[in-house]
Amino acid sequence: MSSQIATIFEIQRMSTEDGPGLRTTVFFKGCPLKCIWCHNPESISIHPEVQWIGSRCIRCKLCLDVCPSNALNHTKRGVVINRQQRCEGCGKCALNCPSNALEQIGKKWEINELIHEVLKDSAYFKNSDRGGITASGGESTLQIHFLIEFFKILKQNNIHTALDTCGVFNKEAMMLLLPYTDMILYDIKEIDPEKHITFTGYSNENILKNLIYISNYITYNKIPLKIWIRTPIIPNTTARADNIRRIGMFISSELNNSIVEKWELCSFNNLCKDKYLRLDQDWQFKNSDLLTVSDMEQFTDIAKKALAYPEIVSWSGQTKID
Amino acid sequence: MAAVTLPKYQQSIKNPKGLSDRISWLRDYYFKGVGRNWNNEFTSWTTGTPWDVQYDELTYYIVPENYAFFQVMRSSFHQTARTIELHEDFWKWSLPERRAWFNKEVVVEYLPQEILPGDLICGGRFNLQTSRCWTEKELKERDSLIYGKNGARAKIKWFRNHGFGNSGATSGHLIPWHEKALKIGWKGIHAELNGIYKKLSRKEQDGKKGTQLKAMMIASTTPRDLAIKYSQKCRELMQIEKDENRKKELEQMSKNLSKVPWFPPETFWEAIQALWLTHMLIMSDENYPGPGTSFGRFDQYLLPYWEYSIKKGMDREFGKEILKCFWIHANTAYDAFIRTGGNQGITAGFGQLITLSGLGQNEIDMTNDLTYAILEVIDEMSPILEPKPNIRLHKNSPEVLLDKVVDMIASSQGAPFLINFDERAIAGMITETKKGGCETLITKDNVFEYAPVGCLENTMVGNDRSGTVDNNLDLLKAVELALSNGKELIEYKDQITNKIDNNIKLDAPNTGDPNLFKTWEEFWEAYSKQTKYIIKKCVETYEASESIRAKFSPTPYLSCLVKGCAEKGLDVTEGGAEISFTTLNVISYATTVDSLLAIKYLVFDNKFCSMEELISALKSNWDGYRILQARAKYKAPKYGRDDDEADRMAKQVMELWTNETWKYNTKSTNRKFRPGLLSWNYWVSDGYILPASPDGREKGQFLSNAICPSNGADISGPTANSNSVGKVLGGKASDENGDFKNYFNMIPSGASHTITFNPAILKDPEHKDKFKAFLKGYGENGGTALQINMLDPEMLRDAQKHPQDYRHLLVRITGYNAYFTSIGKELQDEVIARISHNKF
Repeated sequence: MSSQIATIFEIQRMSTEDGPGLRTTVFFKGCPLKCIWCHNPESISIHPEVQWIGSRCIRCKLCLDVCPSNALNHTKRGVVINRQQRCEGCGKCALNCPSNALEQIGKKWEINELIHEVLKDSAYFKNSDRGGITASGGESTLQIHFLIEFFKILKQNNIHTALDTCGVFNKEAMMLLLPYTDMILYDIKEIDPEKHITFTGYSNENILKNLIYISNYITYNKIPLKIWIRTPIIPNTTARADNIRRIGMFISSELNNSIVEKWELCSFNNLCKDKYLRLDQDWQFKNSDLLTVSDMEQFTDIAKKALAYPEIVSWSGQTKID
Repeated sequence: MAAVTLPKYQQSIKNPKGLSDRISWLRDYYFKGVGRNWNNEFTSWTTGTPWDVQYDELTYYIVPENYAFFQVMRSSFHQTARTIELHEDFWKWSLPERRAWFNKEVVVEYLPQEILPGDLICGGRFNLQTSRCWTEKELKERDSLIYGKNGARAKIKWFRNHGFGNSGATSGHLIPWHEKALKIGWKGIHAELNGIYKKLSRKEQDGKKGTQLKAMMIASTTPRDLAIKYSQKCRELMQIEKDENRKKELEQMSKNLSKVPWFPPETFWEAIQALWLTHMLIMSDENYPGPGTSFGRFDQYLLPYWEYSIKKGMDREFGKEILKCFWIHANTAYDAFIRTGGNQGITAGFGQLITLSGLGQNEIDMTNDLTYAILEVIDEMSPILEPKPNIRLHKNSPEVLLDKVVDMIASSQGAPFLINFDERAIAGMITETKKGGCETLITKDNVFEYAPVGCLENTMVGNDRSGTVDNNLDLLKAVELALSNGKELIEYKDQITNKIDNNIKLDAPNTGDPNLFKTWEEFWEAYSKQTKYIIKKCVETYEASESIRAKFSPTPYLSCLVKGCAEKGLDVTEGGAEISFTTLNVISYATTVDSLLAIKYLVFDNKFCSMEELISALKSNWDGYRILQARAKYKAPKYGRDDDEADRMAKQVMELWTNETWKYNTKSTNRKFRPGLLSWNYWVSDGYILPASPDGREKGQFLSNAICPSNGADISGPTANSNSVGKVLGGKASDENGDFKNYFNMIPSGASHTITFNPAILKDPEHKDKFKAFLKGYGENGGTALQINMLDPEMLRDAQKHPQDYRHLLVRITGYNAYFTSIGKELQDEVIARISHNKF
């Protein structure tokens, strides 16, 4: 793993939803979890991938000629990518596609190049309350050496840093990152270990342990680091009263409440439906309805009742239009 | 179906609130449009001579939609004109004296004085088409200069037909010296004029200078005599009024008018009354309802009167009530053509700007109680078009003001005002002193007094006419000429008759056969030469209308309110103002930059095609070249993404045309040209004239708007977009060695920048704080002025389908706000396309 180069699939500027203030969110590619509802399916594989956006395609077929592994086919329904056997995600097709219908997801960024890019919005960060950079993904700690270097340089430039994590990481490496981290956005998706395995392919045991460990570490070492907990509220899976209640109890009893600044319930959204299609993947939530405002308000109430500091609970995201 | 979908959206359209019965009635009455018994539509007046003319087409050379109607306007205003009984010496007087006398006679003796129920301000009818007061000889001379083979009209039509843009000496677009008119009253102005006149020699008194001053003296008594009439009218109404409260109001109004604007006001009510009469008579004097006739720093020079009245016990709400009446009056400017067009004469916007807040001397913030009272008025009255507020923000703007600004943006559909950013704007004014040679007039100590006119064009106040919308040049024309060795890529037709227009010879330089260019630098060289050529062409075209106006269309009343005119004995149309620039705005800035970037990318850097192929592609409007077109559109670099390399090219383009612009002066009036970046609605219409461009745009698609990136190009979001804008205006120095602090700005007139946000960005207090941070960041990194649109595409599509249900839906385009349903389908589509920074 390199501390100089990372695979990143998106850089979103003027982000208002990934931590405090105005931020630039850097999406690192690769994730250890496979959440069945994942909103960023393109983030899971650590390898670059290619996708085809039909509405942009002008059917010029130039891509067929440039692909070194013969992985593309032009059919009635457009360009088909042979992902299993041939496509290596090299991106030559995307580079040559005149209309950007083929896109490479995941590009290599050299660290100085990335720093230059994200510092462009410093004026906006500094004028907002704790604005700065969020490392998201995927799971950015899969590229921890780069991340440490990245945050270190950002701190040298006085930029607020936030880590958005699913909680699966190497504890020792994390200890090297924490000195350069101002905030952690930490996902607790599901409190029941069995269900967590069903939903994400991974037990939540380490995730919860890691969080307790960090909470204690911050407390004992008096680090001014803040934590925001995030819980995705997904229909028929995590959107259960008992799940919310028990996550609340966990926060109350296991974590230092002066460190946890916020617990955000994020309502399910279906905007990623097309992403699955483009990656030739099925999505079991493709027909699921959005939650209603009253659903979200009920979960928020449950969450508040479970906490000693109910004011830290909020909810966000799309809801059904009545 | 409409009934099902509409209620949801209608809730999100802002409604006026907290209005008294008086103001609700006046506002509702105003919006009845043609249904009103009273209105302020044009009336026409003649000397009675058979050759008389009222309509002056010169002022509309920058409104190409009007070209087809010039003759109709001229004859119909003449036909409907009522004859004025002339003074026996009328024809012995000079032209300015004739005009001054004629206008005064119409306003005071012929127009009825009318006051709407409950109105607290007098001054109703002012939209006039009055005789130009020419003798037959003058008319013949003037007409030959306009209609001759090489006349002004042929020139402007050729200029427009060939996709150069447009250019013409236009009215309005300045800030009169209201502060002084309030301080010394018209009596004081009259006395000053008289003093200057008396000091002239006998010969001078009878000469050009003297007659100009005499004309101005006549004009300066117009407000006095009109106020007396209105005062009498109030008294008449008082006699028959039954309501005791109203009776008292009318009595006070009568008293006010027996004093102001001839004597200086003391109370706020008097000051607003005086200001309104002074302002409305400018529109009468110029026969031009509103556009750009702006008020300047409204919350500064009215503050003493506000404070005086508050101290004397005026209820703050009553003060606001007076302002609200003023608001209604300003909107009656639209009545000029109330029976023409689809929306009762309410067109895209006239731009009677008021300026609020901003820096003062020693960089102190000038926000005061009146600023907030006015913001409340705007909030309670909107949506309403006039007067248009500009709020000046800077690094030390108070948080309370910023919160109010953000709240108002959140509760309206887009900001009900335009935001000016002081640091960048002031740097531009300093550029003007350096490049324009007015170091004694714009200094470190007074530059803070600048204010915008029209949409966002920055000028000084009370002594400045800088023709802020007079020249509008399509920069893209230079790319076309460079691609064709000084010829044109397509055959240009008359926009009205559809006949080929070769009335004037194209004399562009031969800059070399582009097919033979081996390097990008060779192409750049050709482009530079053609840029210089089109600027020269614009200057020549302007000279035609400018010189005719200077000779035949004096505005002696307005000249009384512009410092320099009396001292020089020159009308403001003759360049009398102390600061007298004319502004050259470029249209299609981003389209031009992106075209250059595409040529470099496609032909020189990557050799995707030869120059010859690219040129054939453009000639065929990309037909048969869809792959190349896609590369140009989607693969070539673009301005507006905070891409340093693309923005470097954009800055080079900016330096080239602005430096060239500063080189020229008008011959007839000695006004220097200065650069501006406003493209009103031309970026839409001129897109139908100019051929396909190398950036992938087809003929018939829009050009880019002012300083905004090309439509769809700003895929990196609002901060990237804003950073690009700041960079190309000049960027910042790393230390304090900018033109103002560390800021540079090549565009003194200002650059119109519109960003459309998704309303979700303001959904809760936390997000409002984030938006506030964006505004502060914009002040550091962005441009001179920002319009914020806050739209929901779904709502707009519904508004397209059901315009009748969305009459009050406001959008802002290029510096002015407009009712969405009153703009054309193409613009509507454009607004929708920009929402939320969709990729293209």
